Amino acid sequence: MNLTINSRTPNETTRILEIEGEIDVYTSPQLKQEIVKLAEGGVKHLIINLSKVEYLDSTGLGVLIGGLKRLREAEGNLVLVGPALRILRIFEITGLDKIFDIYATEEDAAAKEGVTL
Amino acid sequence: MTQTLCDTVELTIPCRPEYVGVARLAVLGIASRMPFSYDEVEDVRLAVGEACTHAVERAGSTVAQIKIVSTIDSVALVIEVSDDVPADAEPVIPDEDAQALAAAGVDQQGLGALLMEILVDEVKITSTASGTSVRLTKFAPE
Repeated sequence: MNLTINSRTPNETTRILEIEGEIDVYTSPQLKQEIVKLAEGGVKHLIINLSKVEYLDSTGLGVLIGGLKRLREAEGNLVLVGPALRILRIFEITGLDKIFDIYATEEDAAAKEGVTL
Repeated sequence: MTQTLCDTVELTIPCRPEYVGVARLAVLGIASRMPFSYDEVEDVRLAVGEACTHAVERAGSTVAQIKIVSTIDSVALVIEVSDDVPADAEPVIPDEDAQALAAAGVDQQGLGALLMEILVDEVKITSTASGTSVRLTKFAPE
């Protein structure tokens, strides 16, 4: 049960985080730490690729919401990419699909957010 | 006379974050014994994960344990997740997190409770001075 976070830097204020594994009460502090570090370092646009995430619980949702709030306050955004149907359903049943911008691909996310990859 | 088969599986784990995944794995196997669809099995897994998370978040650094008792019969899968964390224990979500979430209009523990309510057919939470028990019931498809 592990979480791997691969970070890419398309430009100075944008990061793409590709997350692999399970986001739960054990691993979500790791994700939170990464998001906080990036936000404090001046990153405004965070594209989080969830396509390799197999499990997401309420603590993971909490971390994503915290990051969303932080970046929107900095006039940026935190967007989600490619969640499996199972993961997308968790956003839908909690109503959080209306709070987050969720895109099919990283390219879609970048285009809609006005970010150059 | 009709005989009702009723199997019970018990698992006890330390009430700490790194063990919640162990409970989920076990429940995946147990729920697979029922005539549930793939999605229903996943629902049970997430609900049990949330019940354990609820215990872990209240336990802090205590030596509490979580006991997971699963009962399978032809009608339903009943999973009781009990901890020995005193009911008056405050959640140990760090303050800044709780504030950020509250400001965003979200109560994380509320999210966990909401998920459980949606994912299984019945949720019964009982708190006493000596611990909390979450009883999750998912009925077999007719």
